[in-house]
Amino acid sequence: MKRSFVLLLVSLLLILAACGNSTKQSSDSTDSEKKNEKAEVNLYTSRHYDVDNELYKKFEDETGIKVNVIKGEADELIERIKREGTATKADLFLTADVGRLYRAKEQGLLQEVSSDKLSKQVPDKFRDSDDMWVGLTKRARILVYNKDKVQPEDLSTYEALADDKWKGRFLVRSSESVYNQSLLASFIEIDGEEKAKEWAQAIVNNMARSPEGGDRDQAKAIAAGIGDVAIMNTYYLGQMLNSQDTEEVKVAEQLGIFFPNQETTGTHVNISGAGVVNGSKNADNALKLLEFLTGEDAQFTFAEANYEYPVNPDVEPAELLKSWGEFKEQEIPLEVLGKNNAKAIMLFNEVGWK
Amino acid sequence: MNRRIANVNGWTIGAVLIIILLFVPNLSIVTGIFTPINENWEHIREFMLLKYIKSSLTLVFFTAIFTIAIGLSLAWLIAQYDFPLRNFMKWSLILPLSIPPFIGAYTYHGILNYTGIIQKTLRNHFDLTVNQAYFDIMNVPGAIFIYTLFLYPYVYMITRIFLSNQAASLIESARTLGKGSMEIFLKIVIPISRVSVVGGVSLVILEVLNDYGVVKYFGIQTFSTAIFQTWFGLGDLESSIKLASCLMGIVIFILLIEWALRGGKKYSFSSTKIRPLPLVKLTGKKAVMATGYTLIIFTVAFLIPVLQLLDWFVLTFGKVPMEEVFTYTKNSIIVAGTAAILIILFSLIIGNFSRITKHKLAKVLPKLTILGYSIPGAVIAVAVVTTFIAIDRYLAPIYLWLGVDSALVLSVSLVMLISAYIIRFFAIGYNSIESGYTKIGTDFRDASRMLGVSSLRTFFKIDLPMMKGAIFSGFILTFVDILKEIPLTLILRPFNYDTLATKAFQYASDEQIMEASQASLLIVGVSAIAIFIFNKVLREGQK
Repeated sequence: MKRSFVLLLVSLLLILAACGNSTKQSSDSTDSEKKNEKAEVNLYTSRHYDVDNELYKKFEDETGIKVNVIKGEADELIERIKREGTATKADLFLTADVGRLYRAKEQGLLQEVSSDKLSKQVPDKFRDSDDMWVGLTKRARILVYNKDKVQPEDLSTYEALADDKWKGRFLVRSSESVYNQSLLASFIEIDGEEKAKEWAQAIVNNMARSPEGGDRDQAKAIAAGIGDVAIMNTYYLGQMLNSQDTEEVKVAEQLGIFFPNQETTGTHVNISGAGVVNGSKNADNALKLLEFLTGEDAQFTFAEANYEYPVNPDVEPAELLKSWGEFKEQEIPLEVLGKNNAKAIMLFNEVGWK
Repeated sequence: MNRRIANVNGWTIGAVLIIILLFVPNLSIVTGIFTPINENWEHIREFMLLKYIKSSLTLVFFTAIFTIAIGLSLAWLIAQYDFPLRNFMKWSLILPLSIPPFIGAYTYHGILNYTGIIQKTLRNHFDLTVNQAYFDIMNVPGAIFIYTLFLYPYVYMITRIFLSNQAASLIESARTLGKGSMEIFLKIVIPISRVSVVGGVSLVILEVLNDYGVVKYFGIQTFSTAIFQTWFGLGDLESSIKLASCLMGIVIFILLIEWALRGGKKYSFSSTKIRPLPLVKLTGKKAVMATGYTLIIFTVAFLIPVLQLLDWFVLTFGKVPMEEVFTYTKNSIIVAGTAAILIILFSLIIGNFSRITKHKLAKVLPKLTILGYSIPGAVIAVAVVTTFIAIDRYLAPIYLWLGVDSALVLSVSLVMLISAYIIRFFAIGYNSIESGYTKIGTDFRDASRMLGVSSLRTFFKIDLPMMKGAIFSGFILTFVDILKEIPLTLILRPFNYDTLATKAFQYASDEQIMEASQASLLIVGVSAIAIFIFNKVLREGQK
């Protein structure tokens, strides 16, 4: 009996060893690839757009540096980099919200990186004050409205949405959306915590329905007559206007676009951005990739394919975005969005913004 | 004393080793209960906790009731009656399992919302505008609807196998005694299928508790959204692990109830006549009703969502890059297949240990391995990364000696991902294997052992052949579940390694559900093939 069990154990071990071997082979092959090409850059990213892959491909073709990618949710990637510590393979951390860049920086996961090229391609405003991250694209959180029921004159600022006249007419997605968190974080910075909380409370009272769905769903709810004004990100609107589904296009066409706070503090802007990971083994290549992604070619591609605003001042936004006109942006240091994030979430919970 | 030592055999050693391996990464979560509370925790308790527990329990309670109602009634119909389309329905009714609930949620929302096919048609062709409230599924009842549709097959599948293979003699006797269908159903079918129904529905409950995709999209606040918001939003992994360990507590409670409901009772069939129940042929109105009922469930839970996905696939054809599809599909099949095989293998060892060892610990220990199913994927991911990095550190000198120029080997390989799958999904495979062991009992084994055949030989010659059904259903269930898995795969996969699920999720999470249709359809396709093969093998096994 014992002998037969030993047999079973051995066969188990063999299976395990076989697994081990196959993975070892694969890591061998990546090793040998490394030796052949000698250049690579490892990317942890929470952006999932096809256009990103196209850009990495282009970068590979231009520089011969291979781009390896792990995609995930930003916080999970941060956690992974943290746990991997000095042994991490990550070179570049890329994400779609400045709050998460701030968190990565706070946790000591990023290193300073700067070059003349980067400074030229990305205005100071979209770079970390300590050069720990740079912005790649920006998106504005704007108001859309039902053209039949709302005149643009009725709208002015985010703050004005707290007014009673919007009771039962206002639409927004849940507070779990990092875009809403960053929005409230910006108000905490500008108006103070107390005012920000009052605003959030008033918004909850004005909601046409309790928050559900994504940004696109808010637009559809306006078309369906559930509410009259909604907050949404510009690029979702761009995607809807260019959707394969003609019904989505119709919905988007019914909407008016309004950039709030033009007379006051400016429209809220968030960025996608990236930072070089502390302990990166290919920091030079990571820098090259950053320079590439903020360069004119890549910036143009980002803008055209995804309706995001380029950070590079030499690059024009896509035609569609240009047709919406220029606008005044919020003038606060972007890192405060990260700094105030947890506070914003707590405020949301306290006022019952689902 | 001697007896105890005699009990420690190969099975014990193997089982205990595996249990430890499965349990160790979870330790970091269990210890979360004991970390001191911080101010975030106060905030969570004041503003979130009660609300979250309430909505979680509501979802769990109603989903459980509806999945039992649908799963058990279908299982009974298919196991006992013959009606038009029965043979097709028999396996097709499992197919909804191949649709990840979050994809199901997106499709149903896609169908019902303002730009969806129904409202669009009414608006454009009949000039009708409808009350939006009737078409809104992004709420608690909507989520229960989605979970019921895509999770009932757990109950159906496990119960059907039980009813058609095991309960034949009981039902037949009742028939001979002239009992009517309804009476047989109420007095015989429900009581005897209790074990398999409880087994199936506990999988449903765990799945609902753990789901993040549906509730997040619908804006429902549950335990799992609380865990994620605490971690992501407040950046407080400690508090979120604390929440996760609360969830684990709830799950242990549920498992205890399951155990109590089974009452330690074993339905062991020592009859060699494990054979299918002779079917009663339905005619006329009854046949129409039976076919109609199964057809409606199949249409709503499978056909409609798939047609919607197909529609989106056609709409976005050419927009989504196709060239790497083969690689994603292959990756998905390989990782899910490997993990599922290992899970079944380990389950067989632990299950046999638990069956043949008289000691109480042997009944309790295996329960620990199921805990992985109660912990949100992302939290498991963190636990697994931590463990593997520790292993890598420990093995560093060996790597150096082997000339590998890196400090991280295991933790950037598929070994880590597959291990995480095993921890996460062990419950599914084990559940199936355990109920298989329960069904065959120990009589044959005891006889064989008394005749002097070794334990291992008995296992291969006597137990395994009888376990074929349990092994296949366990494998298919785990395989399909892993195919749909998201958070672990996203975070633990090696560089440039995509699977169908990660592809589908990446589009869906950016509100590009139309673009997600291609990968979603492939998940459904691969799972459907697996289910079909499974059904074929099972049927041949019965002949």
